[in-house]
Amino acid sequence: MNLYFIKSQDFNDFVKSLVGSKKVIGPKAKKHKFVFDRIELPEDLRLDYDTTILPPKKEFFPTTQKLVEFKGNHYNGCINPEEKILFGVHFYDVKAIDMTDHLFREKNEDWNYLANREATTIVASNVQTVSNRAFYGSVGTEVKPKGHDAYLTKLKDGYLYEAITNKGEALVKFGKFDKGTDSHRKEAEEINNAVLKKCPESLKYGTKEIADKVRKSFDKKEVWENAAHDCFSCGSCNVVCPTCYCFDVQDDWNLDQTSGLRSRYWDACLTEDFSKISLGAGATENFREHSADRFRHRIMRKATYLNEKLGGPACVGCGRCSSACTADIADPTKVINKIMELR
Amino acid sequence: MSCDKCACSENKNGQNYSNIFLPKEAKILRAIQATQSERHFTLQLANKEKMKFEPGQILEVSLFGYGEIPIGLASSPTRENTFDIVIRTVGRVSAAINKLNEGDSMFIRGPMGHGFDLPLLRNQNILVIAGGIGLCPTRSLIQYIMDRRSEFKKFSLFYGAKDPSQQMFHEDLKNWRGSSDVSFYETVDKGDGSWKGNVGVITTLFNKTQIEPDTRVIICGPPIMFKFVIKELDKIGVSRKNIYVDLERRMKCGVGKCGHCQINNKYVCVDGPVFSYADIENLEEAL
Repeated sequence: MNLYFIKSQDFNDFVKSLVGSKKVIGPKAKKHKFVFDRIELPEDLRLDYDTTILPPKKEFFPTTQKLVEFKGNHYNGCINPEEKILFGVHFYDVKAIDMTDHLFREKNEDWNYLANREATTIVASNVQTVSNRAFYGSVGTEVKPKGHDAYLTKLKDGYLYEAITNKGEALVKFGKFDKGTDSHRKEAEEINNAVLKKCPESLKYGTKEIADKVRKSFDKKEVWENAAHDCFSCGSCNVVCPTCYCFDVQDDWNLDQTSGLRSRYWDACLTEDFSKISLGAGATENFREHSADRFRHRIMRKATYLNEKLGGPACVGCGRCSSACTADIADPTKVINKIMELR
Repeated sequence: MSCDKCACSENKNGQNYSNIFLPKEAKILRAIQATQSERHFTLQLANKEKMKFEPGQILEVSLFGYGEIPIGLASSPTRENTFDIVIRTVGRVSAAINKLNEGDSMFIRGPMGHGFDLPLLRNQNILVIAGGIGLCPTRSLIQYIMDRRSEFKKFSLFYGAKDPSQQMFHEDLKNWRGSSDVSFYETVDKGDGSWKGNVGVITTLFNKTQIEPDTRVIICGPPIMFKFVIKELDKIGVSRKNIYVDLERRMKCGVGKCGHCQINNKYVCVDGPVFSYADIENLEEAL
């Protein structure tokens, strides 16, 4: 890993030169919120964002992704990755991307995701503004961010750029960088540690304790019914989650009615039809029929089911679900802290 | 250029990517209307290769423009280089596939998932309990046992259907009724004028024969059936680790990604559809 330093007054030129020669996706203001979008002007890049509406996973796993194109009975795959730089990703989203990397790679490698991922250079950046529902200071703290190519931290007089991989190193030539020093590294470390203590919300217990107790509370019907009482089954909590990766696969005809696409669409386990099957003659079976079953499934999946595979919970504490929930019941800290206090 | 994992032929940016969503073409050699709503297809890969699979495994079957559905293999790998599936008309995809005839193509991905553990079944007494369309995936094992009869000890088969018109695989039924290789017992929930056999739910068949407590039991049928069948097996003293269940779930990808078939930390499409009952009896939402 090499350390580089760039002065504040030179940073704009670095971004300008980068967006002038590469496709750069970064945090951008959209009304009073932020989104990951194409950056064409350096002033559009808002590294002071708190969090984005949708997580950056959409760059590898788009909301709608073509899988197979067909014409009659002839068909082709649609894997066609585009090189890009994902700039300004907060550490919690880096952790989430590392999880989806693992999940799309394990057992059956899904190159529809992995090819996009490999074509992307990720430049992480420090959190400058803490969002009002964040709890990343207390969730899965044993899981460290990895998989990113560089890490940028805003210091008092400039930015420290830690080049972690060759892909990260390759961007240094676009700016007027000097060698970073130990004191820069120390300053960055303090800044990155300090932010963890500024989260407005927190989990009161560790990963293992939570996983065990939440898992054991599966049959506490009343807990889940109360928690999900106001749930609209809209799936917003799933849609904004950086570690949710469920999808539906559907075929669509083109206007010519002879050709078309098989695509995958983001899906949400909170929606009523997610586990429903048809038995014929109008009969159906829904394996998670009630909103409480689905609400529980989401919490189980975030706090216990995937822990063994991921080395920690499938939640990074971004707080997007808490903000997106219409009824404001999705907040994992509220649900989990309550379960932890049960006898 | 194609890879050996799938039917992909991608070459983008100088790299080959395998695409787990690319299907293979399969030709329909025979299509029979099994019941009013179920169609029985015998298929062969368009390249005429023999498909390697295990009894109990599943396929994602599709028709372009309509979509994909998960379907259990209904024939044994011991038979020729063809394979059978049975599709019940329930929705858009199944309705479109069930309009196909001999010579037409459909598309398949797979075989997928974990089938019946043959090494654990060999040299054992076997009882297969199939309710309704549950006879389709278990037929892959029934045929296997019949084809390699000497590898298994006593073989019993219970089959229940709603009424006589819902019975499938008439040729097989005829063979099983007359065969000394299988103790075959059948029932219908509701008889008709010509039905002379047993009437009642599938558990009424337990009175017809003696099942040894060390029997390996395979159950496949509607979710409601499992509970009652397991009660009977408990009475006989069959160990839960010797009971295997073949589960049905919504599945979109078949490769353990899309999340639809997840039960706790298990994916039915990858870890199942066949599970040892001991492994899932304490898994909430499984049965």
